[in-house]
Amino acid sequence: MKVRFYGRLADAIGREIELDVRHEAPVGEIRRSLAASHPSAAGALRLSRACVRDIMADDNRLLSANDDLEFLPPVSGG
Amino acid sequence: MSVVAQLEHDALDPQLELAELTEQARGDGAIVTFIGLARAESRAGDAVDALVLEHHPTLTRQSLEDIAVACAQRFDVSHVRVVHRCGTVPAGEPIVFAGAASIHRRAAFCAADYLMDRLKTEAVFWKREVGEAGSDWIEPTEADLADRDRWG
Repeated sequence: MKVRFYGRLADAIGREIELDVRHEAPVGEIRRSLAASHPSAAGALRLSRACVRDIMADDNRLLSANDDLEFLPPVSGG
Repeated sequence: MSVVAQLEHDALDPQLELAELTEQARGDGAIVTFIGLARAESRAGDAVDALVLEHHPTLTRQSLEDIAVACAQRFDVSHVRVVHRCGTVPAGEPIVFAGAASIHRRAAFCAADYLMDRLKTEAVFWKREVGEAGSDWIEPTEADLADRDRWG
């Protein structure tokens, strides 16, 4: 599964990583796993929205290996 | 009625945007515009060379459209125009143009205020200031969120 990051998360983790997801996994599990493997990004991950195919996904959303996941830190325009 | 929501990769020309909005607004009684500029100084007082606006390939444009359309539906306005920069914006240069035209001034003032409150907190950008103190991500403040929440 490809996981893409924006803003401060991209600084901390990288723009995109590949995760080995063999079974369906909820977004929340991937969020916690990423926080454990990237402690410096844990706070930003908690505050970020997850997004699958351009639609926001809550932590219960089940993902398969074919899904692409994005994490969006708090946004700000203007 | 017209709604314009544009993501601008290169220079944003507020004079041109105003001219186009004015042309569209013939017959209206009021135009209110806001131009946001990249600040030359951070909140901490350090010199800032540029604001870098990272965007999402699809969600950014969608967020601009959603905000502009919601504005047009909510207020008694005839035209709404939002043009927002992405990429690197040198200090002092425009980041955003937000304008609304209406028969009555009050609706145009409210519409422009609404546009900016939502753009500050919901437009899909990740902003960082780059300058003498390095690079610093800018996120909405409690005041920004309170301003947005005024609109329900």
